[in-house]
Amino acid sequence: MISDDELLLYYYRDGLDAAERARIGAALSEQPALAQRMQTLVARLDAAAAMPEVAVPEDVQHRWKAALEQATQQDGHREVRAPRRSFTNLRWLAAAAAVAVVALTLVMQVVTRSPPDQSAQVPPPVDASAYERGLMFHLASTEQQLAGLDSASPEERVRLIETIVAQNRIYALAAERAGEPQLARVLRAFAPILESLTSAGGDSSASVAQLSFELRVMQGRLSAGAEASPGTPSTTL
Amino acid sequence: MLTLINSWVQPDAFQTLLKERSVRWYNACLRITRDKDLAADAVQEALLKAWHRRNDFRGDAALDSWIHRIALNAAIDLIRRRKTRAEDELDPDGAFAEPSAAPDSEYAQQSLEKDLSVAMQRLSMKERQTFLLKHIEGWKLDEIAESLQTSTNNVKSILFRAVRKLRVDLHVWRGES
Repeated sequence: MISDDELLLYYYRDGLDAAERARIGAALSEQPALAQRMQTLVARLDAAAAMPEVAVPEDVQHRWKAALEQATQQDGHREVRAPRRSFTNLRWLAAAAAVAVVALTLVMQVVTRSPPDQSAQVPPPVDASAYERGLMFHLASTEQQLAGLDSASPEERVRLIETIVAQNRIYALAAERAGEPQLARVLRAFAPILESLTSAGGDSSASVAQLSFELRVMQGRLSAGAEASPGTPSTTL
Repeated sequence: MLTLINSWVQPDAFQTLLKERSVRWYNACLRITRDKDLAADAVQEALLKAWHRRNDFRGDAALDSWIHRIALNAAIDLIRRRKTRAEDELDPDGAFAEPSAAPDSEYAQQSLEKDLSVAMQRLSMKERQTFLLKHIEGWKLDEIAESLQTSTNNVKSILFRAVRKLRVDLHVWRGES
């Protein structure tokens, strides 16, 4: 029996030794219900932690600026300040180096890619906000679950979709709490399509394809948002 | 290489970051402290500390992330030093709020929203700090332990306790009793 505490440490990729990770990873691959339990737990924690961003009062901004200016003046750094051009050039160099590292990492990932398992669903970027990380995780796993929908029994199908709808609702709420109503609306718009799948006795492939497409678009936008403005809830849909 | 990196850390870089990223630092500190003045003080302390220690900046993380981390540590230090909030301080209204019914209406959605706020308020200061540093900030358990001046195992216990409390308060969502 794997506890929620262990699932959470697995999700965080912290606090478990290699053997424990392997054991939980294998269990997650074999037991869809366990994977759903982990996703639901993470979704609820994301929603609980999400908060709207508060603006910094103007007087506080001025105070910080003045304090920093005073500190720099005291250090006499104004006289030896580097020309702006060289800073810009270095920034370009840094950006080029970062792109090279990312490209190399991607190549390495492709070369060393192992068969897909649950551990591949663990959210990657540390710079995205928590609920964005959780949301990306939710979207990726939803896409995976939808792909396997055809082979599920009618009961499993209903249970699976109900779980996805419930998680969707939680992330919509989290998005609202984080001050992103557009994202919340898009997430809520998934609900009727998902619900239609539970009753779709016949061919549901068109709805699944549409959803999968939407999910990929959202994942792409989330990734782009995180890259453009690391560390902030920057998703703009 | 180190000299090259440190040459970036000019007043301009700090001022630019202050303009672009201070909202994020402030909000992170605000989540930890739940006190606007303490959050503002923490960011200012972090800025000055980072400026004076800029030669220690190794460039293995973004300057923004470095200041962000210093600000969070400053926020935790300020709470510890000033002790402005008691460990178990709770919102008097929220503390005794009953969990609402299952959410399938607008009313229930509002109740859910309220439950979420109440759930976070029920956490003690240390539980909230640990949960936020782990779940929102993505710190390692041992980094949290160092900052909170406790052991990694204790951080784990506090984190699990926080999650359990949140789970209990949000049990109406679980679809199980």
